[in-house]
Amino acid sequence: MILQRDKVKKNPFQIIQNVDELVEMKKKSILITLDLWEAQKKLITKHKFNLGLEIASDQSLGPIKNDLHYFKLIQFKFITFKDGRPFSLAKKLRRSYNFKNEIRGSGHILPDQYIFLLRCGFDSVEIEEKNLETWLKFLEMDKGIYYQP
Amino acid sequence: MYKYTEQDKKIVKNRTKEFKFQVERRINGDLTEEEFKPLRLMNGLYLQLHAYMLRVAIPYGELSDIQLNKLAEIADKYDKGYGHFTTRQNIQFNWPKLLDVPDILSELAEVEMHAIQTSGNCIRNVSCDHLAGINSEEVEDPRPWCEIIRKWSTFHPEFSFLPRKFKIAVTGSEKDRAAIKVHDIGLKIVKKLGTIGFEVFVGGGQGRSPYVAKKINDFLEKKDLLNYLEAILSVYNELGRRDNIYKARIKILVNELGQEKIKELVDEKFEELSDKSLELNQNEINNIFNFFKLPIEKKTNSKVPIHSDKEYNHWLQQNVINHKIRGHSIVVISLKPPGKPPGDATSSQMRELSKISKDFSYGEIRVTHEQNLILPHILNSNLYELWSRLKKLGLSTPNFGLITDTICCPGLDYCALATARSIPISQKISNHFKEYSVQEKIGDLKIKISGCINACGHHHVGNIGILGLDKNGEESYQITLGGSATEKASIGQIVGPSFSTENLIPAIERILKTYEENKKKNEDFLSAFNRLGIDKFKEDLYK
Ligand code: SF4
Repeated sequence: MILQRDKVKKNPFQIIQNVDELVEMKKKSILITLDLWEAQKKLITKHKFNLGLEIASDQSLGPIKNDLHYFKLIQFKFITFKDGRPFSLAKKLRRSYNFKNEIRGSGHILPDQYIFLLRCGFDSVEIEEKNLETWLKFLEMDKGIYYQP
Repeated sequence: MYKYTEQDKKIVKNRTKEFKFQVERRINGDLTEEEFKPLRLMNGLYLQLHAYMLRVAIPYGELSDIQLNKLAEIADKYDKGYGHFTTRQNIQFNWPKLLDVPDILSELAEVEMHAIQTSGNCIRNVSCDHLAGINSEEVEDPRPWCEIIRKWSTFHPEFSFLPRKFKIAVTGSEKDRAAIKVHDIGLKIVKKLGTIGFEVFVGGGQGRSPYVAKKINDFLEKKDLLNYLEAILSVYNELGRRDNIYKARIKILVNELGQEKIKELVDEKFEELSDKSLELNQNEINNIFNFFKLPIEKKTNSKVPIHSDKEYNHWLQQNVINHKIRGHSIVVISLKPPGKPPGDATSSQMRELSKISKDFSYGEIRVTHEQNLILPHILNSNLYELWSRLKKLGLSTPNFGLITDTICCPGLDYCALATARSIPISQKISNHFKEYSVQEKIGDLKIKISGCINACGHHHVGNIGILGLDKNGEESYQITLGGSATEKASIGQIVGPSFSTENLIPAIERILKTYEENKKKNEDFLSAFNRLGIDKFKEDLYK
């Protein structure tokens, strides 16, 4: 399920593994991996999709620096919650690349990281339904008092 | 001394609540141990060989009498009646129960203390010159800068899941007592053309692959400090290695990329990311500096009491330093009495010291990174009475800076990673050389002992470094010579094959003999070593 701050929302983005699916299924909002994007950029941009891009925590933003305008969503997939690279990457997207659309966290993330994620520019997270309460609890415990701007 | 603002109080209180919730989730199984580990580490909670260990932060080594008294209480109530002061100016309790930890944290919060970021892969407690603000040669007091960095680095949303731990140290003097060149970032306050700023060093560290930090900025303006630190951390967070824990520190990145490249990347990031809201204005800086005003009102002609007691005179000579305000002294309390583990203090010692600091030192105590304590502001005429009270507590050992003032990690007695014991070695040394006259004759000498290659006992930067190894099930000790963590930082060189526990003291004796036979007048061990070279020592030691 997708949680955006304190609201659960629908996820229109469906993950696509290869380009054949693209043609067959005529989906409106699709989520593609960075590898697929790099390999099939031309073909993908021919269709009018709402595009979401999934970047794993060990990948860099280098290859898409000039493509950002294509994406309605950038989703960082944490390989493990201990790998904090996406915190820096999200911040860079916002601050240096001025990316205004949705940034989402997925993969192995913990509710304990929710406030950090939001503060680094993430809008939403993909979570398991059974943990919803814990995620909301961290939001509730946050009093908005921080040492950093 | 710094006092918590409302903001600090709320943040610490909230953290305590959050941690309680995390412990509950661990206990009911919502968090796996793998998930809980980084979370508890960020709260200073380690799992040691026999039990949990809680490391409490002492920001830049400053404590009030009230805080020290609380630490004594905690040692009695939740531990075995003692605490251990560490090489990063913190204190560790070795036996708390997991379920007690939230309560300990609440009690600490009452006296403006916490265990936040004393371990884990985040920015750790910032450390500092223990003579900050009280020595006359410094450019500026580094403590306010440590406080500014403490705030910025605490629960930093971007830098709480770094590749590895990250340590920052600050000094305001030419003479480096904070070991800045063996930290991930070392900051040295300097004055150029009348303006004060920072020299910035990165990539120093010990562990398996020791490095002396490289300078990447000759002069950083004060206002840019936090933006520049963000730039360094951001480069590290993105590029630091995560595939191998032993290659994850920034020192490896700096070494792989080279000094020029890392400087270029940081400068680029600094240009790109500099955030106006992180720029420090003079008002903010002044506000923090106001907390650190000297409590002493004026200079006096107060004289040091004269007594014939030999021990008292040794102590005066060895453990008492001039304060920058005339008529006052700085007193070093050695936590290295003969035969005791370095850095340990019992609850009754802490309680009494709390009173003593209130009576004589404006309620201020400091912790040094060499695991001693300091009473920073003593009126000269009080020195004899102070000494008498310290003596009763077993805290008047006159060995500051001498051979028995060793640094030592917990080693095999406590640590799950150890390959050999280190505390008993330190005890052997302190017993063997306990006579003051013997130590005085040897002069300034730093021995540092680690129980494994991770080097928590800083053996790489000991003038004599001792590393405990496991050789087919037998403890054996490798000796390095010539290390230093001062402004002339250097990594010690291995002298040769290692020694058994029995042969270690004779080996040290032999090394000292080489020094004794070859030294020039007033030449200390390190200078003599640098002049003579390792071969001379090796030749004598193994012939
Ligand atoms: S140096 Fe090794 S034995 Fe000593 S505390 Fe560190 S990890 Fe443990």
